[in-house]
Amino acid sequence: MITTSNLSKKYNDTTVLNIENLEIPKGQSFGLVGNNGAGKTTYFSLLLDLIQPTTGHIENNGVLVHESEDWKPFTSSFIDESFLIGYLTAEEYFYFIGELRGQNKSDVDGLLSQFADFFHDEILNKKKYLRDLSKGNQKKAGIVAALIGNPEVIILDEPFANLDPTTQIRLKQIIKDLAETKGVTVLISSHDLLHVTDVCERIVVLEKGEVVKDLATSTATLKELEAHFSGMAEV
Amino acid sequence: MICWFLSVIAITFSINFINFLVNKNNTVFYAVLVLLFVFIGMEIYDIYKISEPIGAAFYYLYNHPYLVLLPLLLLATLYSILFKYIKNGFYLDDAVSKKIKEVNATDLSWMNRFGSVAPFIKNDVKLIWRNARPKQVMFMSFIFLFYGLMFYTQDVYKQMPALLAFASMFITGGFLMTFGQLVPSWDSEYYKMLMSQNIPYKTYLESKWYLMVFAVGLSFILSTPYIYFGWDIFGMIAAGALFNIGLNSFLTLFGGALNRVPIELNVKAKAFSNTNGFNPTQLLIGLPKFLLPMGLFYIPYKLINFNAGLIVLALSGVLGIVFRNYIFKKIEEVYQKGKYKTIAAYSEKN
Repeated sequence: MITTSNLSKKYNDTTVLNIENLEIPKGQSFGLVGNNGAGKTTYFSLLLDLIQPTTGHIENNGVLVHESEDWKPFTSSFIDESFLIGYLTAEEYFYFIGELRGQNKSDVDGLLSQFADFFHDEILNKKKYLRDLSKGNQKKAGIVAALIGNPEVIILDEPFANLDPTTQIRLKQIIKDLAETKGVTVLISSHDLLHVTDVCERIVVLEKGEVVKDLATSTATLKELEAHFSGMAEV
Repeated sequence: MICWFLSVIAITFSINFINFLVNKNNTVFYAVLVLLFVFIGMEIYDIYKISEPIGAAFYYLYNHPYLVLLPLLLLATLYSILFKYIKNGFYLDDAVSKKIKEVNATDLSWMNRFGSVAPFIKNDVKLIWRNARPKQVMFMSFIFLFYGLMFYTQDVYKQMPALLAFASMFITGGFLMTFGQLVPSWDSEYYKMLMSQNIPYKTYLESKWYLMVFAVGLSFILSTPYIYFGWDIFGMIAAGALFNIGLNSFLTLFGGALNRVPIELNVKAKAFSNTNGFNPTQLLIGLPKFLLPMGLFYIPYKLINFNAGLIVLALSGVLGIVFRNYIFKKIEEVYQKGKYKTIAAYSEKN
């Protein structure tokens, strides 16, 4: 589904990302872990054509993302709060995204009703602007908005950060469900090794912009990741 | 004599304190502004000369030294108001804790008839309605409507029709100039999302254009009282409106592509530091906006006659409307080209 070749991003002379080859098949739940500055958000930004690659390219379902816009209809994302429109209520925001993605009001309502649990009564009918919600609730709204319109690729940057434990568990279920039963390719990044190993079939470790590990998740994966990152702490 | 001296000093200080309040508080600013306009207007039209009673009052003050108490009292009152005002704003948690307003949702679904641009127009209406900064701009653009009063009433300008054409363009172009020149900065807070969403740039730009056209149309209707100054003047306003719709709007959108200053939507600009979102590029882009209508009117006016000037000015707008698909395509290319730079500039502040 997503093919990355010879991709690199440099700011002045500092290389922040350098991925020779990375292939993400359709329906995979893909996790990206790494310390701050490892290049996770840079990779996602390149994937969404928000920054320009220095060399190489990413193909999303056969579309070169930095040349054509045809990947947009089947790709959705939530990177940070700048993906929300602060002066709208959550409902208005969902309907707006729905309109952009060709969904009418009842389509959106239908989708939202599946997430009543996830919202935990803190999002809908609150008569509050998104900018007045807490960070965690903003994140919930952003994540669900990324699910509107049956996207085939969903990109979530640090989806577990700022969420309370119950919501984290519910989110894990949602992500698993998307990849396993609906064939959606889900890309997430996280600092939390436990969450990623729980959710993702495959985990890639980035370090200073390079892929240093590429693991198919098994029972041993969490141990291996922990060993890797504690090893880095000792060096 | 000393009393007189003291009075003048007290009044000067009072004005200084009023200035403080004006700069801190927009309500005071507009109140002062309106008062000023009303008095100046009445002065000019000989309706009521405020300067006479004021002059008499000063004279009275001069003749009755004990009245120095009045200005001193005024000074003391203003001082205490200002002191309280500043003291109240001194604690960080007051400034930090947000006022959370309840939303009264507005049903704008009737706007769906605008087709593919409807979602954006609905959003823009909410943007203007719910955020401090655009609301302020909206108010400013209303003031532009009165721009003509400054020009049409002076005999000097009757000999300078180019300037009149310029003023006429301003009357209907207020919103376009103030709001339009900050497209796409209005959406800077969530620009990344717009860029990764399933949105054709053209639809986005078109929605802004419709908004400007609507504003020009509305200002034109509101400008009908200018018929009082004669049909020539009103013809100029009409030609100016067409120019605004067909040409100025595109110039403005084009200028927006080069404007990469992020805007904090819900933060009001201070009355005297309204520089956020302004830069030299803007000024350069702004020049043709001012010079074009003058030139378009003046050259045929000089060569042929007044009506020819009007017709050319109006035709320039009609041409823009006719070729608008082509123009949109060109503007879109400019926006597309600057996309990465714009995103980077907007995310710097957020």
